[in-house]
Amino acid sequence: MYPQVLFQNRQPDRTATIKTYRAGGGYRALADVLQQNAAARVRQVLLDAALLGRGGAAFPAGVKLSTVAEDAPYPRYVVCNADEMEPGTFKDRVLIFADPHQLIEGLILAGFAVHAETGIIFIRPEYEGAAAILEREVRVAEKAGYLGKDILGSGFDYRIVVHRSGGRYICGEVTAQINALQGKRPNPLQPPPYPTEKGLWQKPTVLQNVETLCCMPHIVAKGADWFKNLSLTPSGAGTKIFGISGRVQQPGCYELPMGVPLSEIIEDHAGGMIPGSEFKACLPGGASTGFLPARHYHIPMDFEALKKAGNRLGTGAIMVFDHKTCLVGVTLNLMEFFARESCGWCTPCREGLPFIRELLYEIESGRGKPEYVPMLQEMSRHLWHAYCAFAPGAAAPLASLLDEFEDEIQDHIKRKACPFSALT
Amino acid sequence: MLPKTRKKALQKEIAAAEHARELVVDVLMALQAHYGHVTDEAVFEAADLLGMTPMEIEEVATFYTFIYRRPVGKYVIHVCDSVICWMESERPLLEVLCEKLGIAPGETTADGLFTLLPVCCIGYCDRAPAMLINRKAYGPLTENKIDRILTGLRQEG
Amino acid sequence: MLKLTIDNQPVAVPAGTKVIAAAEKLGIMIPRFCYHPALGSVGACRVCAVSVLKGPRTGIQMSCMLDVEDGMVVATGDPAAVAFRRQVIEWLMANHPHDCPVCDEGGHCLLQDLTVSGGHGRRRFPGKKRTHRDQQLGPLIQHEMNRCIQCYRCVRFYREFAGYPDLGVTGIAARVYFGRFREGTLESPFAGNLIDICPTGVFTDKPSRYKGRRWDFQRSPSICIHCSLGCHTTVSARYREIVRIEARFSPTVNGHFICDRGRYGFAYANAPERPRQGRIDGETQPVSTALDAALERLTTVSRTHGPDAVACIGSARSSLETLGALKRLCERRSWRGPFLWPDAQTARAVQTAAACLAPELRLSMKELEDADFILVVGADPVNEAPMLALALRQAQRQGATIAVCDPRPVALPFAFEHLALAPPFLADAIRIFARAAAGPPQAGVRASGGDAHPPDPNMPPAVQARLAAMGATARTCRRPVIVCGTQIVNSRTVARAADTARMLKSADKPAGLFFVLPGANAFAAALLSDENGAFNTLQAGIADGHVKAVLAVESDLPAAGEGLAPALKSLDLLVVCDYLNTAAARAADILVPTRSVFEEGGIFINQTGCAQRAAPVHVGGTPVAQTGGGDHPPRTFERSIPGAEALSAVQALDRLAGTETADPPAALADLHPVLAPFASRKWPDEGQLLDLSSEAAPSADWPPEEPPAAGKTFELVVRERTFGSEALSQRADCLRPLEKAPRILVHSDDAARLGIAAGDRVALTCAGGVIEGTADVRNTVAAGVVIVDRHRELNWPAAGAGWVRIEAKQIHKIEKERER
Ligand SMILES: Cc1cc2nc3c(=O)[nH]c(=O)nc-3n(C[C@H](O)[C@H](O)[C@H](O)COP(=O)(O)O)c2cc1C
Ligand code: SF4
Ligand code: FES
Repeated sequence: MYPQVLFQNRQPDRTATIKTYRAGGGYRALADVLQQNAAARVRQVLLDAALLGRGGAAFPAGVKLSTVAEDAPYPRYVVCNADEMEPGTFKDRVLIFADPHQLIEGLILAGFAVHAETGIIFIRPEYEGAAAILEREVRVAEKAGYLGKDILGSGFDYRIVVHRSGGRYICGEVTAQINALQGKRPNPLQPPPYPTEKGLWQKPTVLQNVETLCCMPHIVAKGADWFKNLSLTPSGAGTKIFGISGRVQQPGCYELPMGVPLSEIIEDHAGGMIPGSEFKACLPGGASTGFLPARHYHIPMDFEALKKAGNRLGTGAIMVFDHKTCLVGVTLNLMEFFARESCGWCTPCREGLPFIRELLYEIESGRGKPEYVPMLQEMSRHLWHAYCAFAPGAAAPLASLLDEFEDEIQDHIKRKACPFSALT
Repeated sequence: MLPKTRKKALQKEIAAAEHARELVVDVLMALQAHYGHVTDEAVFEAADLLGMTPMEIEEVATFYTFIYRRPVGKYVIHVCDSVICWMESERPLLEVLCEKLGIAPGETTADGLFTLLPVCCIGYCDRAPAMLINRKAYGPLTENKIDRILTGLRQEG
Repeated sequence: MLKLTIDNQPVAVPAGTKVIAAAEKLGIMIPRFCYHPALGSVGACRVCAVSVLKGPRTGIQMSCMLDVEDGMVVATGDPAAVAFRRQVIEWLMANHPHDCPVCDEGGHCLLQDLTVSGGHGRRRFPGKKRTHRDQQLGPLIQHEMNRCIQCYRCVRFYREFAGYPDLGVTGIAARVYFGRFREGTLESPFAGNLIDICPTGVFTDKPSRYKGRRWDFQRSPSICIHCSLGCHTTVSARYREIVRIEARFSPTVNGHFICDRGRYGFAYANAPERPRQGRIDGETQPVSTALDAALERLTTVSRTHGPDAVACIGSARSSLETLGALKRLCERRSWRGPFLWPDAQTARAVQTAAACLAPELRLSMKELEDADFILVVGADPVNEAPMLALALRQAQRQGATIAVCDPRPVALPFAFEHLALAPPFLADAIRIFARAAAGPPQAGVRASGGDAHPPDPNMPPAVQARLAAMGATARTCRRPVIVCGTQIVNSRTVARAADTARMLKSADKPAGLFFVLPGANAFAAALLSDENGAFNTLQAGIADGHVKAVLAVESDLPAAGEGLAPALKSLDLLVVCDYLNTAAARAADILVPTRSVFEEGGIFINQTGCAQRAAPVHVGGTPVAQTGGGDHPPRTFERSIPGAEALSAVQALDRLAGTETADPPAALADLHPVLAPFASRKWPDEGQLLDLSSEAAPSADWPPEEPPAAGKTFELVVRERTFGSEALSQRADCLRPLEKAPRILVHSDDAARLGIAAGDRVALTCAGGVIEGTADVRNTVAAGVVIVDRHRELNWPAAGAGWVRIEAKQIHKIEKERER
């Protein structure tokens, strides 16, 4: 058993109360830094801990907090990104249900680190249960004196607002989320200016993923070295919540050290492949990562190793596909998702994705033509020149399908049918 | 028209907000809860409450999955058609539900009970295949389970 | 300046320039859909991709989003970039209907151009096209959403640039939709620009639907003559008909846009009722016969009763050439005139404005956009000079504070402060503002004039305090500007506006002055005639029998009021030269048709004193659609062009003068010293700025007028409207549905006192007759003011001027049964 940090208070079907959270050392880090008025120390320890953003982009959290200039205008905001709409990803939901105060403390610490006044939790409407828990626990934290005016006598004022989204994947993108919070259409906005300079209401705004924020209290309490040493690989730091789904026996969320081998996650933690299934590939970190073929079965799951393999750790949401699953079908499904959720701002995404989906649909339905393959190849490259990271994200599974599983596509075209339809 | 007390409560919330506009989704949801869907009248009311123009409200309202600009049934079924649920179902859930409800995607049953909407991954991949009914999650689903759920809801009326 | 290389050519541009704009300097037009110089960059379409070979980020980049950097090397023709751009076109065409043959954008469609130039011709998309439902957007604009390529230009123009709320973008992904919340006429009087700005055929010109392709048209650069701003336009004609007007870029005047009055006001030139032939005593005659008869009869009157018995009338809608010819005719024959003004007050106000508009004070519209404080006095921009409202909005978007002192319920597409003040208070309002703006007296800074007269005690103290606060704000501003109208104010107000601008200017700021004048060529009229040249002075002459004959050239005599009509009847002779079928033309003993600006061209001097030339567009004549009765081509063939007999007004007037102007430009130069530049034939693209300002510019130190007696007297103000009041555009059928119902407006307090409610019929008994209309009661009208819409359904000319004082007892509620 690996050390459980973020999941230390996780219990089946139960949400940890503030009492449980405090019993495990919760809110001590906050009390400490508030008493010592040590905002700079919070920023430094996060920087030293090499905490990389868990929302998909892997941007160092300490760096982000430090880019808010000392003399930047007020009010400042911290936004917790609980939009989690990427297919295959559900770790943030589990984290909130398991231990809401961990997130609340993380959000307060981040706010304190940049002298913010307001923390906002932006949550997808599918997670109404989680939103209600957070609203309730925020009030509990207020009562306990961790939120409100002059927190713990430190002079620091901070409040947390739970903001429910209307539901769209693009709202997870930083700048789109800021637009959404302002009651505007959630189209992304290409920086500069960066949100840490001019974000919500044109004021400095730091946006972090739920899991990233959840790591913060522990890092502040136990230090950067401790956090780094949690990882199995020197390139990684901390633990990671892996949400695994698909053809495994026990899909779910597992907190494991960064760098744990993929094979171990599947076999030891997720109960192995379902009977009669062989591992063919997985998407290692959500719908906008590439198919990781079987030759990488033992890859250490950290940001560096996956980058080296030409892939990304993304959100750590592992979707496992077996030898009976049609990857053209999977990709078609993913393209359907991306085409539907495109914000409609730029051409590659709005028009390119439906075009690609149509080509894949033809192939999957047995009407594919050989010339579709080079078309797909070219289009998947061209998706990279979209306005935001959405379309490049969509390109990832497509490009890897073309690179790693072209045979499967060709097979569809040759047989004029999906070779897998007979298998199921 | 929104009941007076509900309207007052919203006005209070709006007055307390830093910027009225940040509540546009909440206000639309409140109006939707009252009318069943966001009617044209609701758009005007939202505009009025928030100090925005009806066009601005419409721009936002038509963006989101969970804001309905057309009538829906008492139970809105959001059935996930994303990759894990697709892979984990014997037969696409959407197909199953269409058959059981006798409607096409996007339609409402004649008795006004159910509206069926395919949506993207709802974040319950560990419980695939899954769906939401009035935002409550159900999964993993089988055809039998679906039957039971629908029957239960029909009985509740 | 940063130096970079684009396609192997060096170019130097200021920091902050985008690569797409830098390339344009070299004449390299990088493809674009969403980028527009007036709307900026949003990076949505992705068709402006270039390859950056050297720079902070290399590879394919969007040139509209990319700031230039020193040493950057860009290749627009790099194969990778070209391939990507072609891909973008293919993607955009996947859902585009193949209806170029029936699309009115065909031939001037950016999408068509790029599709052809990119070589996309084979459809590879196996799916179905998406379709949308169109909306009915009113009489001017056709909506066809299936052609949309989602460049967002329309909403960016409509909402952000122009400031109107009723067009937006709805939906998401491939279903984004650009339209209104509900079907219906677009509210903005600038909506027509959607047609120009849409790179494909989503918004096309409705009145000219299916009238031709751009290459079928005779196209010429022209100048809009529907208000005094003189926006630049391009006019298209086909089959002897003016078909369409588009905005033409002008860096100083209108930028890329025009208003809908200017875009659609041209129908008068095609009108079936337009005079095409001469008429003598009710009989149709050849033009030259009518002209000969006119000469003969006018000469007879002149011989019999003396040259003083003949009076010549003109108007500010004529070209400088025509006005000049009219003046020469008067001089040569010693006839009275030219009378170019409806009333002496307007004449004086415009004269004063022209005399005050010193070169160092005047601002172009472009410069006005740069102002950070603007005080508007006695002007109603959207109604009087629509494009001015857009310029003000650009200033406001960049942070300018804007305040308007005007008795009318001024509406503007942005936030501003309105002080509803009756006209007699306006001059004082400027003074209070000016005093605060001047601050404590400083050495070398000229104090604002008029201090000898204390402000009117009737002006509410709260208003005085606001004005002082505005002045204090203006003092801290970098570029404060005074905008002043001339239609409903007197010359004292005009002079004081100029004085204040001069005061602000001398405080070492690029402050300035911007006037709005009544009529496209009001400045020229000020050049060629003085306050004695107002019809109502002429009226007395007719009444007492001294004037026996009137020659009216392109003038709407009704503007002089009903009083003139009986006077005209008592004349021995009325000769009318016009291209409009005016009431005067119908009443004329002799009618000589003239050519419109589209056939003749001409010089018009806008309100900044900039003389601009409109080029002729076509020869003219009765439109084929009318001669052929819908049948085309006509079945009878002749050498002459039907209906093209009309002479230019200059030719006609020269014939009456018995001269021929051998060298028209030189003749202009003889008229007035400031016209000397016209002798040289070189015509600057941006027009010729004229300077009428003089040392002897009237001072604002004029005695105040008789103060209004609260409750006993009212200021009657005639209000222009965007649509329906201007002489030419009010004849356009397509604009009729946009006209607002004409009203007589009063402040709610006054209405209560007068016993008038909204919807009541009200009659105003004026010197020139009775004005009867439906009342509207508003709080945004200044107290003590009655406003009459200048609309054909109201007898507004009876007022006698843009602003007159009447007594309360001249206002009646009509008790008789409600009409209609
Ligand atoms: C299309 C798109 C969707 C995204 N959705 C999410 C999301 O649902 N949750 C999330 O935390 N980050 C999401 N991200 C990543 C965010 O943009 C951002 O990088 C992240 O929230 C920052 O937090 P972190 O640094 O703590 O990871 C998304 C990015 C893109 C481009
Ligand atoms: S890639 Fe373009 S259309 Fe897609 S989500 Fe980003 S901005 Fe919107
Ligand atoms: S012109 Fe640059 S993206 Fe459209």
